[in-house]
Amino acid sequence: MSDHLTLAQVDRDGALAETLDRIGPDSRAGFLRKGALLGGGIIGGGAVLSALFADAAEAATENDIAIANFALTLEYLEAEFYTEAVAMGAIRNARVRRFAQVVAAHERTHVAALKGMLGARAVAKPSFDFQGTTENEAKFKATAQVLEDTGVMAYAGQAPRVDANAVLKAALAIHTVEARHASWIRHINGAPPAPAAFDKPKTMAQILAAVGKTGFISTGPGMTATGSPPSFTG
Amino acid sequence: MTTKSRRKGGFVAALALFLVFVAFAYGRDPAVDDGGFDLPPIPSASVEVSTQPLLVEAQAAPPPHRLSDVNGISRYLGVEQAVAARATPGFGAKVVARLSTRTPEGTTNVVLALQRVERGGQLWIQARLPILPNNTLGWIPRTALGGYNEVSTHLVVRLSSFKATLYRLGKPIWSARVGVGQRRWPTPTGQFYVRNRLTKYSSATYGPLAFGTSARSATLTDWPAGGFVGIHGTNQPTLIPGRISHGCIRLANADILRLDRLMPPGTPLSIVR
Repeated sequence: MSDHLTLAQVDRDGALAETLDRIGPDSRAGFLRKGALLGGGIIGGGAVLSALFADAAEAATENDIAIANFALTLEYLEAEFYTEAVAMGAIRNARVRRFAQVVAAHERTHVAALKGMLGARAVAKPSFDFQGTTENEAKFKATAQVLEDTGVMAYAGQAPRVDANAVLKAALAIHTVEARHASWIRHINGAPPAPAAFDKPKTMAQILAAVGKTGFISTGPGMTATGSPPSFTG
Repeated sequence: MTTKSRRKGGFVAALALFLVFVAFAYGRDPAVDDGGFDLPPIPSASVEVSTQPLLVEAQAAPPPHRLSDVNGISRYLGVEQAVAARATPGFGAKVVARLSTRTPEGTTNVVLALQRVERGGQLWIQARLPILPNNTLGWIPRTALGGYNEVSTHLVVRLSSFKATLYRLGKPIWSARVGVGQRRWPTPTGQFYVRNRLTKYSSATYGPLAFGTSARSATLTDWPAGGFVGIHGTNQPTLIPGRISHGCIRLANADILRLDRLMPPGTPLSIVR
């Protein structure tokens, strides 16, 4: 698959399009003024890690913003997947449940960090339909492994494309944790935790294509109608 | 054999045993990327993970799982395939309603999920249904529904005091006086949900915005589109509060617009005396 694959090819309902399209006016300075990240204490690890993402926000180029929004979309997906899996109560194995709870918290923190870094330029959270994979332990375990492997390959694929060192540092702080998640769930699944001496990165197009094919990202139910007067009883 | 050579032989034997164990535990290493790359196709019975065979464990059916709590998180799902809702979880059970994918207003038909059970490997969702008689529940196969959507709000309408209150996570965040159904066309009581939101229409009678609900008039059964009860604005605000409507819940226009900023569709609705 080429890196030149267009988003439209894998994103027919437009749910992923915002990842690449919504590069609007600069908001990073405003974000820093508000102290949303530095003062918010939203990131595990405290001030050092907060400063890491604040530095990234300050240094990011337009290209870096696009990459960070791509990462944010994947983090939204992972955070929602684990959070929903925990809430659905279908994971009965204590070891698997512990994995889901810990990783859910990590992924939510990744979302918060990236949103803080991107400020008003962060893509909106899409709707999700996990097609039953959060409601069955075996399907959850299998899907978690793929998602974590995907996350590792996605960060590895984008790292060489990042312009600013500060952004690269922030991305690596997430990337290594994704690798730990991947090893953890692989161990739980009885798969090799570190299957090869070298990991092969995947391009943004490859990742978007794979995610698009799952149908996990959806537009959600359309619940607003415009134009037609109501026919309610009045 | 010297002590040194015995030690060396022991080490080699231990290493060999360890390697045998590793090989046995993990088998061949099939997860090395060969270029094939797919997230799992949505599985019906099993899942594939990349090129790695999966461990899919046989498990007993899990117990029923509660999906909504009006004082916490409630969940609703879109109807993705026209489907029969049944009295009990099972394809042989009595049909209580046939659900389409769209509402009369053209929005996605959603149901408020109450609990989930597994029967014979099939997941079933018990949901509130937008049908008469009001307060009917039904079981829907999970596969006919879309993803979960969450709300943390709950709207309570008290008919006797003509008051609506919106709660978020159990705490009141908004309230307003309302008009309700006249005695001959009473607003139905029970547990319902907000199922859509209508805007930018030309009808002063309904004000600037209207929410559709799953509640239906039990008396105006021949009303167009099924006699659903709405929550909407009005061009006669001086009549509020009071028993003034055909069953709908009327608010002053400023109140319905404020409610719109706080209450997402999908919100559970309790109408009490």
